[in-house]
Amino acid sequence: MAEKSLGQKLLGVWNTKTIVAVAIGAALFGVLMVYGGIPVTTNTNLTTAMVIPVVVGAFFGPLPALVSAGVGNVIADLIGGWGMWFDWSIGNGIAAFFVGLLPVYGAYVTEGVFNWKHAIIYAICVVVGNGIAFGVVTPIFTTLFYGGDLNVTFIQAIAGSISNIAVELVVGIPLMFILAARSKSRTNLKEEE
Amino acid sequence: MNNRFVINYTPGPTYLHQLSGFTKVLLFIVMTVAIISTYDVRILWPLFFICLAQMISMKPNWKPIIFMFLFTFVTVTLLGNVMLFVVSPDAGLNNCGTETIIWTSKTGRFYISKEWLWYVFAVFTKRTASFASVMAFALMTTPSEFASGLNKCGMPYKVCTIISLAYRTIPDIANDFIDIRNSMMMRGVELGKKASLGKRLKNNVTLLVPLIMSSFGKVTGIANAMDLRGYGKYKKRTWYAEHEPTKADRLVRGLTIALAVLTACYIVWSKAIDPWPAKIWCPFSDPSQIRNVSLEESFFLFRWLKSLFQ
Repeated sequence: MAEKSLGQKLLGVWNTKTIVAVAIGAALFGVLMVYGGIPVTTNTNLTTAMVIPVVVGAFFGPLPALVSAGVGNVIADLIGGWGMWFDWSIGNGIAAFFVGLLPVYGAYVTEGVFNWKHAIIYAICVVVGNGIAFGVVTPIFTTLFYGGDLNVTFIQAIAGSISNIAVELVVGIPLMFILAARSKSRTNLKEEE
Repeated sequence: MNNRFVINYTPGPTYLHQLSGFTKVLLFIVMTVAIISTYDVRILWPLFFICLAQMISMKPNWKPIIFMFLFTFVTVTLLGNVMLFVVSPDAGLNNCGTETIIWTSKTGRFYISKEWLWYVFAVFTKRTASFASVMAFALMTTPSEFASGLNKCGMPYKVCTIISLAYRTIPDIANDFIDIRNSMMMRGVELGKKASLGKRLKNNVTLLVPLIMSSFGKVTGIANAMDLRGYGKYKKRTWYAEHEPTKADRLVRGLTIALAVLTACYIVWSKAIDPWPAKIWCPFSDPSQIRNVSLEESFFLFRWLKSLFQ
C-alpha cells in the first residue's frame, strides 16, 4: 500500500466502505452504550462502547472515529432516551479523534502492525484525548447549552473520563493485539488492483 | 426491548408526521437554539408546552416516554442536585447574583438559599424543555427523513447516509447483541448483578469480540452493494423520503421562521439592549443588589489553582 500523507491519514479516505463502516460503528456505539453499560454516576457509564472508536480509528483513521462516536452518541441518546446531550456527544467525538489516531503514528492494525511501542503511544493519546474532551470541551458546552453547574459537571467529567480511560486501556490494548494478529495471518494475500 | 424504542421507521398518520423531512429538521434546530439561548423560565415554559402539544398531537405510546422522563429525572435531576447541594451550595449566588439563606446546617458548610432552589428549578425547566423537543423530534421523524432533511440544511450527503444507515443497522445489531448475550449466558458467562464489577466488565468484553467481528464483517457486502448501485458517483443526490412541500409544510415552515426571528430578536434584546444583570432571571433578586460572581470565585478548580500560586 502506498504511503499516505499526514492529512490523508487524519481525514481518512471517504469511500463507500468507510461510510458503511462508520455507520456500523455508530450503530454499534449506540447499541453498546444503551445495553452494554454499567452506570457510574449521573450522565456517565462504564461502557464498552468506548472501544468502538478505537476499532474504527484503527481501520479508517481518526476523523471516521470522531464521526462514528459523535453520531453514535446522538443515536444512543435517541434510543436510550435520556434526552439529547450534545455536550457529551461532542466530547465523545473529540475523545474518539485522539483515540483513533492509531494509523497516524504507524500502528497499521489492518496490516498486522501493533507492538508495545504503539500501545504506549496509544495509552498517552487516550489519556490526553479524554482529558481534553471531558476536562475542557464537555464542561464548556454543558454550561453553554444546559446551564449545568461547572463544579458538578467537572466531577461528572472526571468520573466519565476515568471510566473511559479504564475501558479504552484495559479492553482496547488486548483487542488491538487480537485484531492485529488476526490481520497478520492474512497479509500474505494481496488484492490485485 | 422493542417497547423501549421511540424512533419510528415508518411515518405515522398524524398532521406532524406528514411533514417533509426538511420542515421537521428546521423546526428541531430552531427549537433547540431557542431553548439553549435562554435561562428565563418565562420563555422556557411556553417552549416546553409547544413541544408537549406537538407530542400530544402525534398520539404516541406514552409508556416508554414516561419511563425515560422518570429515568432522566432520577439520574440527572435528583442525583445531580444532591451532588450540586454537596459541591456548590453557592450555585444560587453564582447564577442569580443574590442570596437569601433559608436553612443552614450546624457546621455552616451546607445551606439552602431561595436562589439555589430557583436555579435548580430553572435548570430543570431547561432540561425538561430540551427533553420534550428531542422527544417530539424523535417521534415525528423517521431516519430517512432525518437524513434527507439534514442534507437539505447543507450537511454533506455522505454524513447523512451515515446517519440513516446507522439507524437502519441498529435493529440488526441489537438482535445480534441479544443473541450473542443469550448464548454466552447459556454457557454460564454471568452478566447480571451476581458477578462483581470487574468480572462483569470482563464478561462484557468477551461478548464484544464476536459482535465487532460479525458487524464489521458486513461492511464489505453493504459497501459493494451500494457501489454497484452507483453510490457516491455524483456530488448531489436526491432522497426517496423527501417530498415536495405541501400546504401543511408551508404553514409549519412559516411558523418556524417566525419562531427563529423571535428567537433572534430575543437574543439581541437580552444580550445587548436590556440585559438582566445576572446569568439567570430570578423573581427574588432585586436587580440593583445583584453581584456578579466571577468564574475564579465559583469554580473549585480555579480556586484551588489560585490558592496554589499564592
